[in-house]
Amino acid sequence: MKKISLYIIAIGLLIGCTDNLKDATDFTSVENPNLSEGTVVGQPNSSNIWRAGIERQMANALNEILILAELGSDNYVNTQTFYSQFLDQLEIRNDDPDMEDTYFDIARLREMAKFGLETVGPGDVEYNATTEADYHFFEGMSYLLSGMYFSFVPQEEGGPTFSSSENYNTAIASFDVALGLNPKAEYHLAKARAYYYLGNQAEAVSSANAAIGLDSDFTRFTEFDEQNLPANTLESALFERATFDDFQPLPTLDFLDPKYSFVDAENDAPVHFLKAEEAYLILAEANLASGNVAGAQTNLEDLLAVVATREVREIDDSIEGRPDASANSDNFPARPSVAADMVNGRAGLVLDRQAGDVMVPSVSGTSLTQAEIDAMVNDDAALELLHRTRQEIFIAEGIRFVDMGVKLVIHQNEFLQNPNINEGDPGTSAVIPSFIDAVKANLDAITYDAGTNTATTAIDLNEILVANKSAAEVLPFH
Amino acid sequence: MRTKFSGILTLLLAFVVQITFAQEKTISGTVTDDKGLPLPGVNIVVKNTANGTQSDFDGNYTISASRGAVLTFSYVGFQQVDKVVGDSDTVDVQLAPSASELEEVVITGQGSGIAKRKLSTTVDFLTADEVDKLPSNQIDQLLQSTTPSAQIRLSSGQPGTAAIIRTRGAISASTSATPVVIVDGVRVDNLNSNPQLATGTGGADISALADIPVESIEKIEYIKGGAATTLYGADAANGVIQIITKKGTQGKARFTFESRVGVIKATEDFLAYERTAEALFKPGYSIEYKLGVNGGNEKVTYNFSGSLYSDDSFNLLNEQVRRNLSFGLGAQVTDKLKYQGSFSYVGFQANLDYNANTSFSRFSAFEGAGRGNLNELTEAEWQAELARSNDIGQFVDITNTVNRFTNSNKFIYDINDNIQANATIGIDSRGFVQEEVVSNALQIALGSIAPGTTDQATVNRLVRNAFTVTGDLNFTHRGSLENFEFVTVLGGQFFRSTDRQYQATGDGGVDGTTDLGFFPTQSANDFILENANYGIYFLENIGIYDVAFIELGGRLDQNTQAGNNTDALFLPKVGITYNISDHDFYYDSGISKVLSSVKLRANYGEATNFAQAFSADRTFALNPFLGSPSFTFNNPGNPDLISETVVTTEYGVELGFFDNRLNFSGTRYTATTEDALFTPPALPSSGQLDQIQNIGEIKNEGWEFAMTADIIRSEKHNLSVNFSYNINDNEVVSTGGAPEFNVGGFTVIGSWVEEGQSLGYLRGTSATANGDGTYTFTPNDALGDTFAPNFGSFGLNYTWDKLNIFMTGDYQFGGQIVDLSFLLRHLRGADNTGIPDDLVGTTSPFNYVNFFVFDNYFVKIRNIGANYSFGDKLGIFDDVTLGFTVTNPFNWTDGNFDPETTGSGVGNQNGFASGGFAYGTESAPRIYMTSLRFQF
Repeated sequence: MKKISLYIIAIGLLIGCTDNLKDATDFTSVENPNLSEGTVVGQPNSSNIWRAGIERQMANALNEILILAELGSDNYVNTQTFYSQFLDQLEIRNDDPDMEDTYFDIARLREMAKFGLETVGPGDVEYNATTEADYHFFEGMSYLLSGMYFSFVPQEEGGPTFSSSENYNTAIASFDVALGLNPKAEYHLAKARAYYYLGNQAEAVSSANAAIGLDSDFTRFTEFDEQNLPANTLESALFERATFDDFQPLPTLDFLDPKYSFVDAENDAPVHFLKAEEAYLILAEANLASGNVAGAQTNLEDLLAVVATREVREIDDSIEGRPDASANSDNFPARPSVAADMVNGRAGLVLDRQAGDVMVPSVSGTSLTQAEIDAMVNDDAALELLHRTRQEIFIAEGIRFVDMGVKLVIHQNEFLQNPNINEGDPGTSAVIPSFIDAVKANLDAITYDAGTNTATTAIDLNEILVANKSAAEVLPFH
Repeated sequence: MRTKFSGILTLLLAFVVQITFAQEKTISGTVTDDKGLPLPGVNIVVKNTANGTQSDFDGNYTISASRGAVLTFSYVGFQQVDKVVGDSDTVDVQLAPSASELEEVVITGQGSGIAKRKLSTTVDFLTADEVDKLPSNQIDQLLQSTTPSAQIRLSSGQPGTAAIIRTRGAISASTSATPVVIVDGVRVDNLNSNPQLATGTGGADISALADIPVESIEKIEYIKGGAATTLYGADAANGVIQIITKKGTQGKARFTFESRVGVIKATEDFLAYERTAEALFKPGYSIEYKLGVNGGNEKVTYNFSGSLYSDDSFNLLNEQVRRNLSFGLGAQVTDKLKYQGSFSYVGFQANLDYNANTSFSRFSAFEGAGRGNLNELTEAEWQAELARSNDIGQFVDITNTVNRFTNSNKFIYDINDNIQANATIGIDSRGFVQEEVVSNALQIALGSIAPGTTDQATVNRLVRNAFTVTGDLNFTHRGSLENFEFVTVLGGQFFRSTDRQYQATGDGGVDGTTDLGFFPTQSANDFILENANYGIYFLENIGIYDVAFIELGGRLDQNTQAGNNTDALFLPKVGITYNISDHDFYYDSGISKVLSSVKLRANYGEATNFAQAFSADRTFALNPFLGSPSFTFNNPGNPDLISETVVTTEYGVELGFFDNRLNFSGTRYTATTEDALFTPPALPSSGQLDQIQNIGEIKNEGWEFAMTADIIRSEKHNLSVNFSYNINDNEVVSTGGAPEFNVGGFTVIGSWVEEGQSLGYLRGTSATANGDGTYTFTPNDALGDTFAPNFGSFGLNYTWDKLNIFMTGDYQFGGQIVDLSFLLRHLRGADNTGIPDDLVGTTSPFNYVNFFVFDNYFVKIRNIGANYSFGDKLGIFDDVTLGFTVTNPFNWTDGNFDPETTGSGVGNQNGFASGGFAYGTESAPRIYMTSLRFQF
């Protein structure tokens, strides 16, 4: 009996020395559930999944940009501190984390596009020209956004800075490669925008025409994932945070708010970051710059035609307050909130959100009328009308901020660590045109008399922009 | 313990004595302590001779003595006992503990325990009696104000939350200062913050410390970092809390039954508006029943304890239930083998209210004037607010459920009289479920969705399973060579912990169900950490003439968090202790009448903290996006990542005056965190996430003073007081070239890491008056240290026969804290207190945040209690004890807010906790509790 026991123990020990018990006794093995490079690169279809990641990164970048740009412009006043504590006052600081986050997301877009081009794409048997073109497009978008929002930023990790113009040119080069692989209307429009801000009227017109030549009412939009994120941050600010009506539109734009509202539990409202409307506006502005009013009128009529095809959403916006319903204080006095309210002498700009559902354009909307187009003559008033229309068409898309000629700054975490940049270098302080700086306290200021249903904005920024049209920072065709 | 100065002479004498008294017999017996546990190392001497011996590991001894001789049993920390040798050959002795605090006995740790007098490091104790009379059920609250050098700040009054704990300052920017918690040698989950995937309840952090088993505690030891924790493993730099549970004592079964009834009332002292209390607070009741059985024989001892606790809190919403079961067993398996086992179960259920930084929080909305200046609302407006608040309150539905099982098994084998082997293996398994139901009704009540909406309900469920297995095997050798005594410990230890978090969310649902399957859209997320840590250690404690002791030790430590390019870390320790007063010459001199004991100690040691599991790996992420997978970069990776090492040097003195009636302890320490784990901001132009790196250096220097005094010490009256004072100076010596970075708080005023400042100091734009109506604004101004550099505790204990009255309290000063609720009130135009009129309205309040920063000093009385023991006067009972305690009765602070509470400034998943932001969460309540305890 004793012997048998010994045998059993001996066999047990022998088995124990084999691998069978190793899993039970090895307490040091751990497994990281995250993906390693080997599970991403070289896998079939990886280039497609990587492209989805870039699309998602574009959504992240827009989330950062739109909040800052809309607050920094005259489009919206901030009633809370949740989203930004500085931009509403056009206080642009190189220690504001939002500066870091914004440029980070733009840089990450570039790095992802480049990693796709250099590593993921070539390793995937299913890599094709469509995907490759999109990689180039998004790399170009990264430079385009860099040029739009920053006066100087690096184009690579720890690299030297490139000016806004240099970034626009780098962007154009990327868009050209993309167009060579797969011609698309939005690639042309992206190019047109870069040329527009460069002030290159001929190329801008050419690219704008090429864009609408391919598709007269296209949009390229970024979708947001309400469920798995990123959701549309600006949608939260405009609508989803309900009684926290953080962003209150300039009363002249009230009828366009909220552009983004609840869609469903899975998808959040998309941002149309490249749309045919822009091509018509560029063409119209070019025509005005060339003294061709009739041409501009045609462009604007085309614009109205496209706008008429865009979705207008019926939404219950009764939860939203004017002013912020959650702030029971005197900080934010009453704002126009009934349909009878006149803003700067104009009617029909204010919606009564308590009187039932409201109709709000979710892609483009404008107060521009055929009558206004017909009445256009070759003067500054026409240019103001055009810029009022740009402001309306592009509300909540971050363009107004760029049109104001304001630029964000390189965050200190870049210049303190980047050997090529020192504090004080171009790009490390904000660019705010003097004529904007002079009115920055009044960008969102209004007066409102509920008794007489009269609201007045303290300034008309379109007027100021046009008055300074020859300044380098604004109205690039002038 | 007296020391024979001349060893050789002693040996000679012994030889002579043995010849002289030839007709002796062999006496044997066992020496036990007052609880019946064997006492090893007791000196047994035949009085007036040099004939002596020591008891072995099991308290057994044999000695030769003749009939009529007197045996003297002496042991540090116990009263000396003389026994006359009679006819019997067996003399069993039970030693009673001596009153002197200085002579507190053995501590546990690695190996079989070493007398405290031999240690060069300090350990804070809490005994079973002290634990029993405190009303709390949470380890942090038990230790608060009862340990001299721990800073324990209750972050919220919400159930299941716990304190921010620190001892010697903040040593790490990457983890919280929460100590490792060990129950009977087994590590337990000590996640003292919200988990990584916590649901958005706002701010107050839930904590695993709230449900650490505190039933049947024999002793709690708080071992601060430095040399004391070198041997404990790779994350012990923040110190170790050891809980030793009861395993039963020999004797007939003793039953105890205790019932506690309490009234819980909100602490309203810190409210900005009385109406907040009117809306949210309502006194509640607590009730608790405890049942215990303890007993055993020579072979087996056992201890069982069970309790049920329930309260409905200080407000209209919170409720909590605790269920505890614990069992301890001691068994003499064979002559040489002993087994000690313990098992405990803790069940905890509580619900939370939204608080702090969420728009759903009523408390922070009221206190931050989110509902207007409550003092200025008309009665009608207020009634409408009350109705709204009650409407919201009835739909708030956040519940936490914890089921925790802890098991420890210890085998003690006496290989021979000198060598003992200890093997411990055990597990801690903690299951946590948090569920948040955001019903349509709640959202309608909050005004988030239009009335009548029925399809936007959300349910959010987090399941977290934390599992830790601990194993330890060590050998202790005790030997002596003439006047040298050697205790040698050699061992190996491993622990492995897994933290699995799963979060599932259902959206777009109707009210009335929490079944995820009923929600039209569902999403899931998970977060997994796994780490293994293993090491070998040795310790040599050399006693020289039994007065001086030298400790040498080290641990070779390896863990799976470290990067591929790294090697095992060697962590050395060395210490020296000199008990001057144990010299005969000292004892005989007159000085000892006044200065009765003197102990000097010094040590050097290294202990570490490791980075979060997997943080060394380069990884990619796969995110679901619009119904499809999407890749992106994730952690950039750092193959050189290794634990940060805290190098501590400390010097101390312990003095006892007047027969140790007045005791004083002083310690000077310097602790430098080398290779400190910082997560500096990545270059934004890299487009890559921040990567944790070993680039920093943090220095903590300080003093620890503790004093106890027995003012009255008589047969019936005893009055003792204790007081401690600690100073800590914290500085980030280097960030390794990285720019300053934020570790908590907000953009306008945050908690930062910057060279030359304290860790997590407050930074924001300050305004200073120029005297002419203008102000100078200083961006990024240093606005104070979030850690109060001066702190301590105090207490009083008075016994008069069977009546005991006690008080405990603590205090801190010198640090700063932001009153965020005030900032919000000011932003909303409701409160300009203390802000110059010529500043208000001229610029954004974010440009004068210094006006919202206050000194975080407080003096708080934590417990006042009394209990009376009726003894066996009440018939069938052996003892009946009636007790009454008041918790948190008094406090004194600077601002009109509680500088302890924090609804912000604590990183998820045991991240850095500055606690520098008082915001939007309720203070710990006042509790009036009576207890009645029967023993039979």
